[in-house]
Amino acid sequence: MERPQNSVVRTPPNSTAVQRRSKSKSYRQSYRSCLGAASRLGLTPGLTARRLNSSRRALKSHIITEKVNPDHLALLVKREWRLSYITPLHQFRHTQLKRYSRQLSAFIAAEKQQGVAMEVEGSQSGFRVSFSVVQGLAATDDDAETVLIQPQIFSRPVFAKQDEPQKSVWSGWLTCINGNPEYLQSLPKGFTSLPLFGGSGAEVLTSLVKSWFQQTFDCCFGPLEINHTSLQWLAALWTNCHTESNLQHLKMIWTLPVVPPLQITYTVNPQDAWELWMSVRKDRLEKTEDEEEAGSIDIEEVMRFVQGLKSHFYRHFRLDLSAGNLNQVSTALGSAKFSGKIKISNSRYMITTLTLLTECALLKMPV
Amino acid sequence: MAATINMSDSERSSPNDQSVSSRSSNRSLRVAEKERRKNEAEDPFVLALKYFSDVEAGTPVYGNDDFERNLVLVEKVAYSRGLPPEAISIMLEFAMSLRMGSAPCVRVLKCLIPATVVPQEAVVRAVVWLGVGKIPISTQVLFIKWVLTVFDMIDAKDQLRAIYGFIFSYVTEENLCPYICHLLYLLTRKESGKQPFLLHLLSLYKVFCPELVTLSIPSRMRSGFRNHISPWKSALIAVQKRNGSQIASSMGLAFTTMDKTSSRKRVQKSAPTDQSSGRKMVPLVQLHSFAELLENMHRIELPAQMGSLLGSSLALQYLDCVQDESALLRLNFWLGYTLHEEFLFCGDGGATQNSEEALQFLNKLLSAHHFLQEGFSSSEAFLYKFLSVWDGSLLRPQILGLLSNIPVVPSSQIGRLLFEPLMQLFFTSSLFFKCGLMECLNSMLLKWLTWHSVYALEDDLDISLNTSCLRLEHKQTVNLANMTLSGFKDSVMELVRFVGRLASVGLQIEGCHSLFLSFVLDFYETVCDTFLKYGLPLVVMPPSGVFYPALLATDPISVDRLAYIMHRYKVNLTSAKAQEKQTKQAFHISRQTFHEFNHYVVVMVSCLWNSKMFQPGLDVQLGEELLLKSNVPQYWTSFDLIHHPAFMSYAVDFHQKCWPGKKDMDLSSIKHSKPWSWYLEYLFNQGYDGLKQFAQSNISRQLTAGDGQGDTQQR
Repeated sequence: MERPQNSVVRTPPNSTAVQRRSKSKSYRQSYRSCLGAASRLGLTPGLTARRLNSSRRALKSHIITEKVNPDHLALLVKREWRLSYITPLHQFRHTQLKRYSRQLSAFIAAEKQQGVAMEVEGSQSGFRVSFSVVQGLAATDDDAETVLIQPQIFSRPVFAKQDEPQKSVWSGWLTCINGNPEYLQSLPKGFTSLPLFGGSGAEVLTSLVKSWFQQTFDCCFGPLEINHTSLQWLAALWTNCHTESNLQHLKMIWTLPVVPPLQITYTVNPQDAWELWMSVRKDRLEKTEDEEEAGSIDIEEVMRFVQGLKSHFYRHFRLDLSAGNLNQVSTALGSAKFSGKIKISNSRYMITTLTLLTECALLKMPV
Repeated sequence: MAATINMSDSERSSPNDQSVSSRSSNRSLRVAEKERRKNEAEDPFVLALKYFSDVEAGTPVYGNDDFERNLVLVEKVAYSRGLPPEAISIMLEFAMSLRMGSAPCVRVLKCLIPATVVPQEAVVRAVVWLGVGKIPISTQVLFIKWVLTVFDMIDAKDQLRAIYGFIFSYVTEENLCPYICHLLYLLTRKESGKQPFLLHLLSLYKVFCPELVTLSIPSRMRSGFRNHISPWKSALIAVQKRNGSQIASSMGLAFTTMDKTSSRKRVQKSAPTDQSSGRKMVPLVQLHSFAELLENMHRIELPAQMGSLLGSSLALQYLDCVQDESALLRLNFWLGYTLHEEFLFCGDGGATQNSEEALQFLNKLLSAHHFLQEGFSSSEAFLYKFLSVWDGSLLRPQILGLLSNIPVVPSSQIGRLLFEPLMQLFFTSSLFFKCGLMECLNSMLLKWLTWHSVYALEDDLDISLNTSCLRLEHKQTVNLANMTLSGFKDSVMELVRFVGRLASVGLQIEGCHSLFLSFVLDFYETVCDTFLKYGLPLVVMPPSGVFYPALLATDPISVDRLAYIMHRYKVNLTSAKAQEKQTKQAFHISRQTFHEFNHYVVVMVSCLWNSKMFQPGLDVQLGEELLLKSNVPQYWTSFDLIHHPAFMSYAVDFHQKCWPGKKDMDLSSIKHSKPWSWYLEYLFNQGYDGLKQFAQSNISRQLTAGDGQGDTQQR
């Protein structure tokens, strides 16, 4: 495209800013250009400038067990979560969790019992929802504290014995770990961004919880898949931890677009994976003395690592995995599926994994 | 096969049923009634119902083809649109009376999906049948479950309440008990309001006959009833969704579907936080006129889900004037989310699956845009992403409509965001897409220019106001200040040049198609007046790839419009120049622009007026030999107003009128001074105002042919 010649017009020396609005400024701005106005949301979404970080800190074994309530941690790990992204919540207050618990219990009960009058007091129905804040997970000041939701159901509504433990039928959480500070700060007051939502339990309850959130905080839920690149990131990040915490295996599932579709399960010995990873990392580790620098990982390294795995596979089976898609990655540290299911098995590496997922969720924000 | 044909027949007839009532006001009632009867008589669905109402008791079921065919028909209608009230009555009566035994009972009950309401009489009669016939107990349970499911759709409950005692007697039937209790519970609640008498009644009953009440009733009543909707759920929801919201609204809604699509029809629910202020708030949804809005302006309560505002012009009006940024952001989040999920992420099969719904949604969005006279930032952000994956045909009018609403794009990004995807689409799409895009870009330019002229004007007036507003604007100002006048001009110029390139190549590809040319000229009619009409100090000339196809077009309208455009260019340029001389700080139009303009005028005048086509110095040059070889006599005259293919017919007509008796037609004779001026007059009188204005502003008085100085010069 030829460069336009700007010589045709010359800007007057005191070029006045073209004021987009004078009378109803703030309103119009917010939906005038998404380049001008919405770039106030930091990330100019229209420009598709938001991408996954091309470089991130290696998984550090955060000792979050000291900071985070062990009960909460126990709930978060070893469970497979189905992920969604959520647009920022309007008028969400961490101080109102008790009230939300009551409202959500009543909501779920009411939806379950359509057509029947409900007692509003949550304790009367079979459901009791508890909202709680997971203190200590937030990585930066901009991050809103993680919120845990646990609807519980009395295993037997009437004859439950006092000491019988209440059965948790569903649990979920909303979180934001290391969210893009520009984006978070650009949100006006009254909005809370907890872009990552994970739910585990009956699909019916998930959709009930979602619709309660939608109606109460005017937010929207969409499915969050863990894309090819993110899965590769996870494979590399987890491999990077092998010396600290045994991977046991690096298992990847690839699908190749042939007829009939071909699914390949590719399991790598953890030591081999680690050595391949080290050969990729060698350059950087040799070059830099700086600990900070040595700790960060670039997307190029991840790609080289995955390329190494692919060419190894090609050498043995004459099948080029580049033609296919990575669908699932699992190690002893956790597993992730393209469909948006994740399991984090080791709480020590939770923060970095959640950071990556928060990034993915923020990428999906429409504005 | 027969079933499908019947199906389509009955489908056609049902909208008739609905529309008849609305049309009957215009038409004679008698005619409408007659037509309706006729339709009904032919409608296989009506015939099927007739079968079930008339069938004699004891008719065998097995091997009965009539029965099978008619029931299939009823089922098809039921599962596609639901059954009208009369059909429910007939079918229920048929099933419960056991006229053909109990075998078809379950099947009929399962297909009793109401389209609108359930007549109370039918339910009452069926309850009575419960006591008379020998209906299997499981079928009885199914029937009561059905009543519970459609309970909210029963048109009245008074008669049901009247047989309360009768219904109550079924409590003794062990298997029916929970369902009967549920039904009684529903019936009782309406009457007794806050009185918990049923509660006591049931507890008492439990005390008397504990073996019959399988329900456990704790000291305080719990909601022990369950939903029995499952046999009908999916069909019922599908029918209700398809029939649209009219039922939901009239029935006060029984089932809330919680899937993604329903979030578009948002439920307005008041946000609890606003009430804490103590003032009495008025929900926006309760206001119905602008006057009411004005009255309650100070105490409007926004809905809990802002997406519900999109369809309400009153709400948009309110948003437009209150400057509630967070409300708008909520709307944008929802809108952006919906657009992305529906058209980009396509989670559930995407837009192709429910294109009708998508179409309605986009139309609603478009009308909101038109109402506000600007677009939402979320739809803009969506478009930039969508353009790169769009095939150029999916929902074309809507997408182009949204596109024309996008606000000014900074010139540094306009290429990547707009031009690159649009260029790809343009060169690979049909003529109609090209025309559509041209129209869209013209409308976009018009909006930009209008926006500029409005705000540029306000700027002059509101300088003091600007400073006071700085506080309000916080960070946005930084970004907005970047859009200076020169920045705006750059963007406009980029757009105009881009369209120039598209138009040039497009005209070539499409063989100078006159429809496309007309859209191109529309665009330049906007461009030539930027200075005078919109106060934007910018003049951009069309490229020769547009100028020559218009000048040499075979239809006179295009040539005339080109002349008009050139005339407006001249007016704009002279006025800009005059202003530049007057006020020191006026803008500077480059010599290049004047040069281009003058060149085009010279070409036009020498081609159309002075018969000097193909002369050296003009853009169109052919070798002398080639021209001689063509054997066109006096080839230099072939594009003057007499021989120009677009005007030749006028010249012939003029010649016949001027010299009626003359046998030999010598068009060149028009070129003589007197007939020439008459001819011009004749052309102008045919409505070619563009040519007339062009001539008046560019051709000097002495209209002598061959006068090289006929054109005026700038600078």
